[in-house]
Amino acid sequence: MTTTTTEPTDPTATEPPAAPVTETETVPNPNAERAKRIGIGVGRTLLAVIGTILVFGIVIAIKGADPIDTYTALFNSIFHNPNAATDIALRATPLVLAGLAVAVPARAGLVNVGGEGQLLIGGIAGAGVALAVGDALPGGVTLALILVAGALGGALWAALSVVLRLFAGISESVTTLLLNYVALDLMLFLVFDPWKDPNASGQPTSRPIPESQQLPFLGSGRIHLGVLITVVVLVIVAFVLKRTAWGFTLRVVGGNAEAARRAGLRVGPLLISAMFVGGALAGLAGAIQLAGVEYKLRPLFLFGFGYVGFLASWLGRHQPWRVAAAAVLLSALVIGGDSLQIDSGLPAATVNVLMAILLLAVFGFTGRKAKA
Amino acid sequence: MSFTTELMTGAVLGGTPILYAALGESVSERAGVINLGTEGSMLVGALAGYAVTAESGNPWIGLAGAALGGALLSSIHGFFVLWRKTNQLATGLVVLFLALGLTSLFGVNYVQSTINSFQSIDVPLLSNIPFFGEVFFQQTAPVYVSYALVPLLSLFLFRTRPGLYVRAAGERAQVLTTYGRPVRLVQMLAVVGGGALAGIGGGVLSTAYTNAWFENMVQGRGFVAVAVAVFAARSPYKVMAGAYLFGAAFALSPLLQVRGVGINQFALDALPYVLVIVVLTVIGRRGTSPAPEGLQAVFEGGASQ
Repeated sequence: MTTTTTEPTDPTATEPPAAPVTETETVPNPNAERAKRIGIGVGRTLLAVIGTILVFGIVIAIKGADPIDTYTALFNSIFHNPNAATDIALRATPLVLAGLAVAVPARAGLVNVGGEGQLLIGGIAGAGVALAVGDALPGGVTLALILVAGALGGALWAALSVVLRLFAGISESVTTLLLNYVALDLMLFLVFDPWKDPNASGQPTSRPIPESQQLPFLGSGRIHLGVLITVVVLVIVAFVLKRTAWGFTLRVVGGNAEAARRAGLRVGPLLISAMFVGGALAGLAGAIQLAGVEYKLRPLFLFGFGYVGFLASWLGRHQPWRVAAAAVLLSALVIGGDSLQIDSGLPAATVNVLMAILLLAVFGFTGRKAKA
Repeated sequence: MSFTTELMTGAVLGGTPILYAALGESVSERAGVINLGTEGSMLVGALAGYAVTAESGNPWIGLAGAALGGALLSSIHGFFVLWRKTNQLATGLVVLFLALGLTSLFGVNYVQSTINSFQSIDVPLLSNIPFFGEVFFQQTAPVYVSYALVPLLSLFLFRTRPGLYVRAAGERAQVLTTYGRPVRLVQMLAVVGGGALAGIGGGVLSTAYTNAWFENMVQGRGFVAVAVAVFAARSPYKVMAGAYLFGAAFALSPLLQVRGVGINQFALDALPYVLVIVVLTVIGRRGTSPAPEGLQAVFEGGASQ
């Protein structure tokens, strides 16, 4: 729940207990109150960031790296690097969608930890269409089919978890997680065996999709059409969640499923639809990554993006625009993290420590405390 | 050795790390805290166990280090979940990321090192029993310890007062409060104890199974342990059966490959995960294995923070 946006009142949120009036006599000025709240929020976030910088600095100092040098390299690789903006945009594209894939089901109270698998299934479905169609159709038509197939594949893969929840009462947080490994093994099977590129040297990959089916670049850089598609999808998701009946009923179900049922809402189909849409977003991300950046599947295709997307959604409190902002922030951190490896000789995974400390600080020490 | 014997031996060997972690997760979940960071605790335990064994030359000291590492990591989860009221699932994943980063940062020095690992010991007499003896009594010492741990943990949870406190913290926290017991402290101890067991699970993995340390070596076993705890209804004996079921599923792939069976390796690798979903579905349909009340809120209240 947000404290600072101007959203319509969320009917499902439990109202905070009326603040005990501390400054008894004065009638509180609503604007001043709000400014104060924002001020506290900003202050706490700043403290969280400073705390993160200190703690991570200590960790890398223990490891024997110079924190000042490391931070300088990190800063330079993000802000003094002509390629950084493009790198961040390209990395954030699948991450924004992976974050929304968590945020939409979360509105209905569903926990989708399966972004990792849904991304892969999207890529697999897209690559499957590309390989099956070949040159039979015009490239643009096939490209559209790739994206649709990716979204549909991810959607069905995700919806399976909710069906299992409704049918057998298994928590979707467990099944989505386990299905990630099934999806990974499925992709490895395809990459190592039937779809293997006989010409690939080194690491095995699937056969690349033909150039006519790749997402075109916008202008001269590496930014492809998929980045634009993602921005459009973000706008649509934000609109649908906030302004449509479906978006509203999702929040009702998420707030109190039993009350929703008594009010005559069909909770089962609503839950399935929420996860279906979430999975479609992740699947679309997989297909976009395939057709816009990678052009083929490989064992580390989108590795870890599903989990980082999950964290982006929590960091953005499941609000579409904030989730997108969190995804961009985490992308910048990861891009900066590459410099840790190059300049400071630390392993690439070190950036996970920085990310984790930041997230713990933000989750634990900013925002309103949940009433457990 | 016959195929069945070999499969079952592999099931016990490969299932033991999962068993330790799933027992730990069961304790934590009994107290009402789900810990996806179990995967992380195993990872830290695997590195700590390996590194301490490499430095000290004694794998038992290594396992103590593994327990300490797992406990420390889970205490982070416990602190944020219990005192800062953060979401359990999200916090668990963050803790996993922390573990991934820390182990990769501090593990590089140990990738090449060799250790004095646990060797298998034949238990006198018992190991001579056909099939049964080969499967259960020609194993490493940590496997034998786990045979004792399962009944002890069951006794602890269901026959002792502290065990009652742990279960009450998950089921009826108000009652515990009424009796003047510190709920959060009980939960914290359960989480940290569970993390120590997960750490031992990771340590067993690196010092008695792979005998090597490599990045991200736990490969989802911690998540599987969480699933085992769920479908075994957090009861130690059922957890044991579930862990061996998984051990068998993990052991099947290399066994069939050695025999040149023409089933795709990755289809077999997916088997354990498909298996657990099928088992959960069957058990779920029969309506057993209810979660502690305190946990249901976590599973169902994903959106509320």
